[in-house]
Amino acid sequence: MNMAMNPTQMKASAGTVAKPAPGSIIFDKVSVAFEAAKLTAVSEFSLNIAPSEFVSIVGPSGCGKTTLLNFAAGLLPSGAGRGTLLVNGKPPVTGSHDLAYMLARDALAPWRTALGNAELGAEVRGVPAEKRRARAVDLLEKVGLKGFENAYPKALSQGMRQRVALARTFSLDSPILLMDEPFGALDAQTKLQLEDVLLSLWQREQRTVLFITHDLSEAVSMSDRVLVMSSRPGRIIADVPITLGRPRSVRALQKEPHYHELYAQVWSKLEEGLSQ
Amino acid sequence: MTDERVWGSGRIWAARLVLLAVFFVLWEWAATSKLIDPILIGKPTGIVQYLWHEVFVTQSLLNDFYWSMGGTMIAFVLGSVAGVLVGMLFVTSPTTEAVLNPIFTALNAMPRIALAPLFIIWFGLGLGSKVAVGFSLTFFIVLSSTVAGGRGVNPDHITLARTLGASGSQIFRKFVLPSAVPVIFNGLRLGLVFALLGVIGAEIFASEHGLGQTLSVLAASFKTNGVFGIIFLLSMIGVGISSGMNSLENRLLRWR
Repeated sequence: MNMAMNPTQMKASAGTVAKPAPGSIIFDKVSVAFEAAKLTAVSEFSLNIAPSEFVSIVGPSGCGKTTLLNFAAGLLPSGAGRGTLLVNGKPPVTGSHDLAYMLARDALAPWRTALGNAELGAEVRGVPAEKRRARAVDLLEKVGLKGFENAYPKALSQGMRQRVALARTFSLDSPILLMDEPFGALDAQTKLQLEDVLLSLWQREQRTVLFITHDLSEAVSMSDRVLVMSSRPGRIIADVPITLGRPRSVRALQKEPHYHELYAQVWSKLEEGLSQ
Repeated sequence: MTDERVWGSGRIWAARLVLLAVFFVLWEWAATSKLIDPILIGKPTGIVQYLWHEVFVTQSLLNDFYWSMGGTMIAFVLGSVAGVLVGMLFVTSPTTEAVLNPIFTALNAMPRIALAPLFIIWFGLGLGSKVAVGFSLTFFIVLSSTVAGGRGVNPDHITLARTLGASGSQIFRKFVLPSAVPVIFNGLRLGLVFALLGVIGAEIFASEHGLGQTLSVLAASFKTNGVFGIIFLLSMIGVGISSGMNSLENRLLRWR
């Protein structure tokens, strides 16, 4: 692999010399190999995410996007990951309170109400009942579920369930959010709505977001930076800054020419990567 | 579930009653006309008379009922508690399960009613031997449903719990246990029916009290009306048990 030839890579790894800031995520020459499956999922991946930056990684399925996220969340079997990875300045630890993880599926507990689910994360992390409840009520309102506090997941639509999962994720105090295709299973319309909900929550709190998706338009419309990965073993083939203003409305962007230019730019990079 | 859905509307009810009435009239007629020997099939009016006399006049059946139900309840509670506890142990400790599971499978394969004579030797003619048979049935049913329920936890919940930093006991209390409850409940429902089966079966073998004991005495003296009366009572108890468990389940598992 001709990693050294890639200017983006050089720039990203050069950044790691600086002292890690709180809320940053630093990947320095990270490789992940699963011995049992004889599979190299990610090879020499370097990326520097600044505090309160919203970074998306796009790439073909199987390029190791989720593996990177799982590494940062401390979910990989020990020994699988190599290289330096610093999450909030620390090596990854399973269950670290520095980060909140949102999965592709909502993972709501069906035996808990929307409110019970929204406060589940904070409950596990030992936040006092009164505080976490107030927080969860507030967040449910912010995600547009006021009045559904006592509804069980079976009574909620898929979009509403993902809203609850968003509330659960944001009810944690973590400076870093890891999101693994959280809107992947939603229809296009619901997806746009939820992207706006996510942006408005993020805008208020300015947390660092590492967002995994295979949907280019989603990545471009929400992020500060979009990283394009090649197919396995995954490496970065482009790092595209998204020069759109903030705050943004994902729905309004759909009619903005500059958004479509950026989209085309990311798309051509992705195509280059696939044809390599 | 509403009563309407379970029992049907008024018209369905009417059809059901007509069907039953025709059945009982034919039965009565067949017995009185000696078309079939009443010793074999009894007689509906005779059955009603027997039940009336034994339940309201001498109240002897009430006494039997209390003995049988008491035994069933004790067997059910002990068997369920033990089944859930051992099941949870299996879920949390695969090693324990690996050691014990084949042994338990072999024990469970024994026809439990065949153990009744042994239990009667060990625990005597009283309640103890009845509870033992009921327990031996309920325990394994509740055990296997608990293990199945504990295994059925959604892997996404485990991933979420791990990223949240949940401890082993938090994962168990907040994710494994609640997601196992519906499956465990199915086991409890079945376990209660089998506790009744075990107790009545053991009473038929040898007992001092209970509906099973009375049933076997009546059958031995060809009092067919009494036999049918007790069978009717037992099936009413069975219906009561399952509808009781259903309404409890609906109350506890509203989220489903």
